[in-house]
Amino acid sequence: MSFKNNLTKIIYGITLLGLWSCSPRIDRLPGDFSARSQKDPALSGNGQKLALIVDQNGRPTVQLRDLRNGQILQLRHLSRYQPHSSPSLSWNARYLAVIAQQGNRRLAIIEDLLTGRSYQMTIPGARVPVRLSLSPDASKLAFQLAQKGKWRIELFDLTNKIDLDQPTLTSPGASSAINQ
Amino acid sequence: MKSSLVPFRFSLAALLLALTGCFAGEIRPILGLNPILAQSGNSFREPGLAMQWLVSLANDQGKERIEMIDLQRLRRVALPGINRIDAQPISVSVSADGQTVALIRQRADQTELLIYRRSSGALQRLELSPKGIPRRVSLDGTGRVLAVQVSRGGSWDVDIIRL
Repeated sequence: MSFKNNLTKIIYGITLLGLWSCSPRIDRLPGDFSARSQKDPALSGNGQKLALIVDQNGRPTVQLRDLRNGQILQLRHLSRYQPHSSPSLSWNARYLAVIAQQGNRRLAIIEDLLTGRSYQMTIPGARVPVRLSLSPDASKLAFQLAQKGKWRIELFDLTNKIDLDQPTLTSPGASSAINQ
Repeated sequence: MKSSLVPFRFSLAALLLALTGCFAGEIRPILGLNPILAQSGNSFREPGLAMQWLVSLANDQGKERIEMIDLQRLRRVALPGINRIDAQPISVSVSADGQTVALIRQRADQTELLIYRRSSGALQRLELSPKGIPRRVSLDGTGRVLAVQVSRGGSWDVDIIRL
């Protein structure tokens, strides 16, 4: 009888431990609690970096963070051209794409964090981008555009504009994510 | 006089280029893909690109649903069980291999954060702690890390969830 009781307790304990270890871990991103406004999160393909839009002196501004140590990474070109919206990162966060403002027009800017260069991308037909998404290898860019009263998504080729940011096998899960 | 200005102008242009970065100019649309997106007459928004996949919210006669397109085979991918007639999708993101989809949807008076796995067609609901209302989601390429924009007490937070 006592053996049965002990066995039941052990099974109960193992089940609880299993359930606890299976539940996802949630971390809240640290921020300035007096004026906290963190929007539009976008993870790099390897999950190590995060781009988001924060309120900087009343101007929506893109910020890049390293999730491994919480460090805010410096952006060379994107500290201008606010308001920013819809950031997107490539696999290793070599490229950060964002919709920005230059004069009276909205355009996409891609900053190459490896070389420090930036690229301004204009869309044929002078159309206005609303949201964007960069493919993990930085070969394609998808735009949400307004056309004839409807939202449209159009894809653009970047292979003749910038180098690829190929997924590396150093990040956990990368090989299985790529090879399927 | 004129010839002495040439190197000066050249160096000035080089300096401006170095300061402002590069102008990549007009980018080239991907032919073959855009007509597929334009074909249906639907409205598409919230693009999410993976290696070979594009997810978006498609509006078909006033009703929004999550849609995935295989960019290599140029065709729509079935996502059985992901769309419900009584739910309105708000945000969607996909892993690099297209196997895992993260989504936020409004259902009755609930805003739900969910993970959809294509291999099983199963939806898993994720609870936020502390409680909040999810608004936008980003899934990393490996399908193991989620970043979620959450409304809490009148401000916007970003939660990082490791699955």
